[in-house]
Amino acid sequence: MPFFKNRTIKKEDYYTASQMQLVWARFARKRSAMVAAFLLFFFIFCGVFAGFLSPYDPTTAGRDKNYENGAPQIPQFCDDNGCNWHPFIHKVERYRGMDTNFRWVTRQTDKRNYLTFLPEVKPYRMLGIPMKHRLFGVEDGFVHLFGTDAAGKDVFSRTLHAIGISLAVGTIGVLISFVLALMIGGVAGFFGGWVDVVLQALMDTVKTTPTIPLFMALAAFIPDEWSSEMRFAFISMILGLLGWGTLARRLRTHVLAERTADYVLASKLSAAGPAHIIRRHLIPSFTSYIIVDLVISFPYMVLAETSLSFIGLGLKDPVNSLGVLLQNATKVDVLLNYHWYFIPVPIFVIIVLAFVFVGDGLRDAADPYSETR
Amino acid sequence: MAAFIKFAGIRLSSALATMLLVSLVVFSLMELVPGNCAERYIAYKSTQGQIITQADIHAEEVRMGLDRPYLERWVKWISKAIFRLDLGESCLWRIGVNNLIGDKMAISLLLSFAALFVTYLIAVPVGIFSARVKDSLFDSGLRAFSYLGLALPNFMLALAVMLIGTIYFNDTLTGLFSEAYRNAPWSMAKFLDMMRHAWLPILILGWSATAIQLQTVRALMADEQSKLYVLAARARGLSGWSLLMRYPARHALGPVINSIGFDLNRIFNDLPIVAAVLALTDAGALLLDALAKSNDQQLAGAIILIMTAVIVALNFVTDLLLAIIDPRVRRGFF
Repeated sequence: MPFFKNRTIKKEDYYTASQMQLVWARFARKRSAMVAAFLLFFFIFCGVFAGFLSPYDPTTAGRDKNYENGAPQIPQFCDDNGCNWHPFIHKVERYRGMDTNFRWVTRQTDKRNYLTFLPEVKPYRMLGIPMKHRLFGVEDGFVHLFGTDAAGKDVFSRTLHAIGISLAVGTIGVLISFVLALMIGGVAGFFGGWVDVVLQALMDTVKTTPTIPLFMALAAFIPDEWSSEMRFAFISMILGLLGWGTLARRLRTHVLAERTADYVLASKLSAAGPAHIIRRHLIPSFTSYIIVDLVISFPYMVLAETSLSFIGLGLKDPVNSLGVLLQNATKVDVLLNYHWYFIPVPIFVIIVLAFVFVGDGLRDAADPYSETR
Repeated sequence: MAAFIKFAGIRLSSALATMLLVSLVVFSLMELVPGNCAERYIAYKSTQGQIITQADIHAEEVRMGLDRPYLERWVKWISKAIFRLDLGESCLWRIGVNNLIGDKMAISLLLSFAALFVTYLIAVPVGIFSARVKDSLFDSGLRAFSYLGLALPNFMLALAVMLIGTIYFNDTLTGLFSEAYRNAPWSMAKFLDMMRHAWLPILILGWSATAIQLQTVRALMADEQSKLYVLAARARGLSGWSLLMRYPARHALGPVINSIGFDLNRIFNDLPIVAAVLALTDAGALLLDALAKSNDQQLAGAIILIMTAVIVALNFVTDLLLAIIDPRVRRGFF
């Protein structure tokens, strides 16, 4: 808590601190929230710069056709021939012979394959910027930290890209539902009366219907010939269109309570219109709650997308997301033999947990009465 | 009593209004799907070697009533559903939706309500206990578990259980029936066989609901415990469990009952996905099939409508129940 720690606390500091400073000071005091925030930023960083951090293209373009369903290769410093400061993996080769019944198999050799830093690769684009280097690679062939899937695609690269995609879907969904909630909740609360009754009924309906079946019904509209980008946009939109219920209800309650406050009357007397009052006076009084609610609803969006993609109604193959990664994981041979398919799961559990902890921390920090002074 | 009947009446009409609105939404969704039932039926016929003209399609549309205006068809659909419990005809299977989903829906509802029951069976006592030993190791452990309930969605838990099952027990633990009973007619033996397999889906369906409900119960109890009336009771010499059960637990009961409908919603949410992972043959799987593969909107709409109807009905019942058991609310009515 740099705000209080670095200098002696004066009483004026507390009273002259801005709202944001107070919230930050309270947030920073909570260790679990700080750790979660740190992790969250780390994963957001991973997701945004996935193109550079991952050694290969996550689509079939980057596949390693000599190493399908391959086990993770963990860089090592030592092997039977001694140690080296430079991490390496062992090379693999395709082999066919008497002992394998003349079938092609992939087997490990003793040859060392050293990791390289910032290797030059085929030009690619990250966030629209043309790039020529990836963070790491090997001297010859491929390195797969998390193994490969049935098509030989690198699971590590796919996971990093999946983080980015899932966060993007969540962000778009949250933004759409946020705008809807602001409009519907604000209007319902401000006007009251029959407008409120109708909008409340609408909120109730959206809340009562089981969301995932509704998501599924909407997602089933997507024609097969749509490109993966359009699919992505549509799925994010659906998530946003159905996710505004809770925030709208909270906003409504708040606006309902605040609209009789003196400052609202004052601005009414100054001839301010309803839109102006909602935008300039009522919503700012609610900002901290809105931010908290957005952070809290984020993981639900991500999880809904994951579920949809998992059952095949959400995103599809060239686009990666956790649900897409897990699509084949229910097959028995995967369950029995290819356990590295499940490596992305704990990573996503950590991301969702990080969101939950940051949301909890923010909620406590934004509540001025949570402090025991 | 008259006030209570009025209250029940208002609740009932608002529940019906919600249902109508939901049915309109569901019906619109079914309508928006490109290509109607008649076209699809005719398309199927044309694969059988018949030559189909536009006139044939039109004739079939007239036969099915698809040439009527949109709202009229909605009214017909929903009134048939309400008054005759008839949910129309499946586009793909050409038989009544009722026949198609009858016992599968029953299985789904059985699983869901069992999961709901297990949720409260675990969440309420453990939550109360956790609030009693607040900030202890047990309490912190439970909190971590609850967070996991949120972060590890049910289908991933199902995957994890399958993973462990295949590695250690050599059984994927999937399906609802043994080989012998899969296509057998319903009997006591088949029911028992189902129950033997059903524990896993029930536990998995209840997983996140349990974790979240546990936290709710704990928070409610912890809130109540610091109130003045508890202090007053303590001053009168009450302590321990008897104090806890006598006042705070009864106070916390209201919000818990209120959230039953919401938890059922949560469980229904997971139904199709858990069905997909565990290879169940219930309405969840049917819904998934209708939406993802066969595009059978009539069937999907009917299943979503039934699910919502069950939730709305449960909400209505819990509202009444709350009014009856909570003296603060009850006094107004009787």
